[in-house]
Amino acid sequence: MVCVIHYMTHSDGTMNAFENLRLEMRRGFLVLAVLASLRTEQYGYTLRKTLNDQAMEIDEGTLYPLLRRLESQGLLVSQWREEEKRNKRFYRLSPDGKKVLKQLLTEWDGMSSSLGEILKEQHHGAY
Amino acid sequence: MELIDRYLQAVKFWLPKAQSEDIIAELSEDIRSQIEEREGELGRQLNDSEVGAILKQVGPPAFVANRFLPQQYLIGPLLFPIYRFVLKIAMLGYLIPWVLVWIGLMIYSQSYREEHAGGGVIGALGSLWSSVWFAAFITIAVVTIVFAVLERTQVLTCALQNWDPQKLPPVRDRNRIPRSSSITEFIVGVLFLIWWVDTFSSQTILRFTAIQITLAPVWRYFFWGFLFVSVVNVALAAANLFHPHWTKLRAVVRLASDCAGSVLFCWLLKSNFLAGITVPNVEASKTLAITNAINWWDTKMVTAAIVICIVIAAIDVYRIVRLKGTTSSLLPQASAPAILR
Repeated sequence: MVCVIHYMTHSDGTMNAFENLRLEMRRGFLVLAVLASLRTEQYGYTLRKTLNDQAMEIDEGTLYPLLRRLESQGLLVSQWREEEKRNKRFYRLSPDGKKVLKQLLTEWDGMSSSLGEILKEQHHGAY
Repeated sequence: MELIDRYLQAVKFWLPKAQSEDIIAELSEDIRSQIEEREGELGRQLNDSEVGAILKQVGPPAFVANRFLPQQYLIGPLLFPIYRFVLKIAMLGYLIPWVLVWIGLMIYSQSYREEHAGGGVIGALGSLWSSVWFAAFITIAVVTIVFAVLERTQVLTCALQNWDPQKLPPVRDRNRIPRSSSITEFIVGVLFLIWWVDTFSSQTILRFTAIQITLAPVWRYFFWGFLFVSVVNVALAAANLFHPHWTKLRAVVRLASDCAGSVLFCWLLKSNFLAGITVPNVEASKTLAITNAINWWDTKMVTAAIVICIVIAAIDVYRIVRLKGTTSSLLPQASAPAILR
C-alpha cells in the first residue's frame, strides 16, 4: 500500500511538473502566435477562435491582458469599430510589431534548428 | 441579460477606474459573442443556467480582473529570500530571549508566578502566548514594512546589483576552528588557571582587606575538579591552535570536558559551598544571613544552570554527529584529510 501511495504521489508530482513546464513553454509560443495572427486585423473573439482552431487554446483572461500589454509596448494598434450592430475592438500589428515579429521568427527558427540538432544527437547517442 | 451585467459589474469593481470601461466593453463583447455562437448552434436563446455556465468558464470576477492588472506584490521575488531570512533572525532574536526570560520569571519570581500562572500549566502557557504574540506581530509588521519600503524605493535592489565577486566571504568550513578563538581560549584559560590556583587553593580566602570568606570542606573537590577541566581545555585550545580543524577525538574530549564542568558547576550550586563570611564590626548574625542567602540563591540557580549545560552538551554532540556524517559539500577534498586526522 505504501508503494502504491508513493507511486501515486510521485505520479501526481510528475504530472504537476509537466503541466507547469507545458504552461511555461506555451506562454512564449502564445505571444508569437498572437503577433503572427494579427498580421491581418481581427477582434478579440475571432482571434481567440482562430488560435483555438489551430490547437493554441487561450482563454479570455489570458488573451485580453496580453493584447493590452502588446499594445502598450507599441507592437499592436487597436480601434473600436461597429460591426454587426456591436462595438468591437480590432487589433493589428503596428509597424514596430512587424519588425519585432520578424526578429522573433528568426530567433524561433534558430532555436528550433538548435533544438532539432540537440534532439538528433541525443537520438543517435541513445543507440 | 441581467446575469452578464451583474457579472461585468462584479469584474469592474476590481478594476482601476481609468481602464475599467474599456476592459469591461471588450470583455462584454467577448462574452456576448460566445453566447451568440452557442445560441446559433442550439437554434434557441440560452437560459440563465447556460449563461451561468459560460460565465463560470470565464472565471471568478476578482481573478478575471486581476489578470488585467500589472503584477502586484509587497515584496518582490528578488528581496523575498532576504526578507524571509531577516524575519527568521528577528523572530529568533526576539522569541528565544523572551521565552528564556519568561521561564526565569516563572521559576524565580513568586509574585510573577502567582499573577500569571494562577490557572496552573494551561494558565501559564496562556499567559506566555498572550505576551508573546503581540510583540511577535509587531516584529513581523516592522520587518515587512521596512522591506516593502525597500522594494518601492529599490534601494536594496540597486545595492544588491552593484556586487563585487571579490568581496564575497570565504568558503565556510564548519569544521574549521578560527585561530583567533583558539588564541583567546588559550590566553583566557591560562589566566583563569593562575587566578584559580592563586585564589582558591586554600579553603579560607582573605581578600578585600579584612573580609574573610571561608569555604566548606567539600570545596576541595571543586577546586581539583575545575582545575583538571581547565587544564584539559587549555591543552585542547593549544591543540586547536596548531591543527585548526575539529577531529572526532578532540570533539569527544570537548564533550567530556564540558560535561564534567557542567556536572561540577551544578553540584557546586547545590552544595552550600560557602561556609561563612567574617567582616570586622559586623554582627555574626548578619554575615550568617548573607551566607545563607548566597547559598540559597545558588541552589535556586540550579535549574537554569542545568538548562544551559544541556544546551552546551547538545552543541558538542551535534559537532560529533556532524563529523561522523558527510564532509563539507563545498570543500570535500580540502577538508576531508583534516577531519579524518
